[in-house]
Amino acid sequence: MTTDATASSAASPLEAALRIGHVSKTFPGTRALIDVSFDVMPGQIHALVGGNGSGKSTLIKIMAGVYNADAGGTITVDGNEMRADHTTPAGARSLGLHFVHQNPAVFPDLSVAENLAIGNGFEKTAFGNIRWRAQRRRTAALLERFDIPAKPDALVRSLRPAERAMLAIARALQNQEGENNGLLVLDEPTASLPRAEVVRLMGALNRFAEAGQTILFVSHRLDEVIDACDQATVLRDGRLAGTLDGDEITEPRLIELIAGRSLDAAFPSMPASGSEEVALEATGIAGGPLAGVNFQLHRGEVLGVAGLLGSGRSELLKMAFGAYPIKSGSFSLDGEPINFHHIGQAMDAGIAYVPEDRGTEASFPDLSLSENVNAAMVDTYWKGMRLRKRAADADARTSIADFFIRASSERQKMGTLSGGNQQKVVLARWLRRRPKVLLLDEPTHGVDVGARAEIYELVSQAVAQGCSVLLVTSDFEELASVSDRVIVLANGRISAELRSPDIEPARLTELAFTTQEIAS
Amino acid sequence: MSVTPDSLSDPGAGSPLVRPPDAEADLHPGESAWKARALEYTEKYALPVLFVLTFIFFSTWSKTSSTFPTAANIKNVLGNTAIDGILALAIMIPLVSGEFDFSVGSLAGLTQVLCAGFMAKNGWPIWAAVGAAIAIGALVGLSNGNTVARVGVNSLIVTLGVGSVLLGIVQWYTSGLSISTGIPDSFVKLGAGEWFGLPKTIYYLIGVAIILYYVLEHTPFGRYLQSVGSNREAARLVGLPVERLVLLTFVISGGLAGVAGVLLVAHNGTASPQVGTVVTTLSALAAAYLGATAIKPGRFNVIGTLIAVFFLAFTVTGLSLAGVANWINSVFSGAALFVAVLISTVIGRKRAGVA
Repeated sequence: MTTDATASSAASPLEAALRIGHVSKTFPGTRALIDVSFDVMPGQIHALVGGNGSGKSTLIKIMAGVYNADAGGTITVDGNEMRADHTTPAGARSLGLHFVHQNPAVFPDLSVAENLAIGNGFEKTAFGNIRWRAQRRRTAALLERFDIPAKPDALVRSLRPAERAMLAIARALQNQEGENNGLLVLDEPTASLPRAEVVRLMGALNRFAEAGQTILFVSHRLDEVIDACDQATVLRDGRLAGTLDGDEITEPRLIELIAGRSLDAAFPSMPASGSEEVALEATGIAGGPLAGVNFQLHRGEVLGVAGLLGSGRSELLKMAFGAYPIKSGSFSLDGEPINFHHIGQAMDAGIAYVPEDRGTEASFPDLSLSENVNAAMVDTYWKGMRLRKRAADADARTSIADFFIRASSERQKMGTLSGGNQQKVVLARWLRRRPKVLLLDEPTHGVDVGARAEIYELVSQAVAQGCSVLLVTSDFEELASVSDRVIVLANGRISAELRSPDIEPARLTELAFTTQEIAS
Repeated sequence: MSVTPDSLSDPGAGSPLVRPPDAEADLHPGESAWKARALEYTEKYALPVLFVLTFIFFSTWSKTSSTFPTAANIKNVLGNTAIDGILALAIMIPLVSGEFDFSVGSLAGLTQVLCAGFMAKNGWPIWAAVGAAIAIGALVGLSNGNTVARVGVNSLIVTLGVGSVLLGIVQWYTSGLSISTGIPDSFVKLGAGEWFGLPKTIYYLIGVAIILYYVLEHTPFGRYLQSVGSNREAARLVGLPVERLVLLTFVISGGLAGVAGVLLVAHNGTASPQVGTVVTTLSALAAAYLGATAIKPGRFNVIGTLIAVFFLAFTVTGLSLAGVANWINSVFSGAALFVAVLISTVIGRKRAGVA
């Protein structure tokens, strides 16, 4: 069922830009990597894919010198071999390995030139002051070489997200001796980017690769892997599951390798649902980027909201939750007008909101899983002048089972859970309240295929019980397969509405983009 | 762009399809279960054990064995430290919600001279002087809290500035002189001396500690404060009135500083303008941080803070009985704060699997 990677690479006449040779890594109690070998050909974009626990993070950390592998493995870059049990950050640098991580560490309040100089050194005079003119010249040359449409003096804050990521890449690669030596390792570079920005960044990566740059690309997003990558290596449970070539890279094949068995689809197909009864209605909602939005969300329906970043999709959800000021217009719930001054009122009315950014908006990292799962219901445990912690913990254990949460116990700190499990905790926090309306903003952000399927299974259970869902996700494929109906948000208004089964990802992309351009 | 272990961590999730159900295994690479548990117990009880060892040390060391383990010394330390304990608890409450209150020391100094002054200079009855002193403490707290929570100014700056202003007011109000005549004996009887063989101030501390323990550990309010301290935006998005909660923590810390001020007068029978300096506040801060490394590591907690207060007090007393000069107080409080923050940071990183 898997392609034999070693055989396919041995047949290749070219010398590999990166050769991972028999790398294993044992942690006490677990084997994170077991005899993994694969080759990355020069000038290619090579995807490294796998679920959590598959070992891909461990492999990247070994390459970067954060961990040392077990004895016996080798990492070879452009013919220079390094023992995998003796990797160091300095060694990785001297081999020509360059790493750019998710949420690239650029400094928004400094200029493009300053950002490129940090970590590399400024052009200085003998006295040590910066030669700004020379610095700008060098920056301009770099920007041209990496084809970044920005001025050296522009503040990084003013750049688009994709351009910031490109800047981080330029900074990592600026000192390469030949222009295309070494290997660029991109660790989930697109995880925090909206769709449109991903397209720009992937375009830039393709140009780099065409110019001869070899790229190892770690991603959760299968469509990117399918579109942009020349080869894809899949790890599963620490072993090489297989390497796919060109046309073999298809979603079913990737999912089969990642999961170890074929899935019918990445998402459960939701039963067509929704009655005629209106749960939530928006009339002329304006405020922030929104300029008059009308929609009806029916009972037991999943209504998707498609829109680009900045379209106001997140603000729309926050307004319905009383967490963002509404300039004009109104919402009504079950036919009753609602006007929330604070979030507590929205919660009491039966609205629940899973925010976009788990880390900054939903997790209490220092509190226990139990305290996190109960965070929206603390007052219900206040009985007889005491907080009933035992009852709360018992309920948390029930939630752990019901919501497929993987944790050692309900006392485990939230911060030590993986992203997908934290997301399930946040979902459980709200679904436990049996809300009438569930507002979901990017519920599967940074979550792997399996956890994503589980999250939608949980949502579909709630829907079956009469919950209505307003769903925002920048993954249009996900939106298309999960929603009963999708409204497209552009220029502050609803520009289109698609009904199942006519919801196609390509059509959504088209609608979200085209209208955007008409306006500008 | 540096390669930090943090940024390399996989943001992905635990899919049941792609990983073994033993979710803990790779969360703590390099640690088996018993080792993790041993570490947990070491963390929880390191400070109490250290306290006991220090106590034994000073009781047996030839330089202090005759003076340290005596009833008189122990009672003396307990009596004086009880009020520091209330201040440490006062500073701890805003810390739970993630804010600093550096004004508690000077606020205790101010309410102390005001309480004494109302009785001695203005001839107010005891209840009025006590009530006014505590109310003034709470009002200053309200003002601090309002500036921090509603206006959004950094609490460190606000309370540092207010603390300095208060110290100045104390000097102005007292002209730099202690207020010792005119304080009614019946008032001093409430704080000086002993009840059932223990200094009276200890009972007040125990009372305050029990109330705060209950509030923090057994009421929704306490949980809300911890939520706000852990992630403010997430707290807002589960419907908590974050501003009001933060504001309330300052009212509580201000009110408790007022209680401490009143007790200082009752315990000493005099109000000195020298009370409430930076060292007072710093010791309280040190105790709160040191306390957060014990009992419930990683969280500010009442019992840990109390243990830390007495650990610091007995160690300082032991050292001064051994003949070390007075400056040790300042050095020791500062060093304790430093070490406490260092330890909790290092352990926090260990726990996150970074170190």
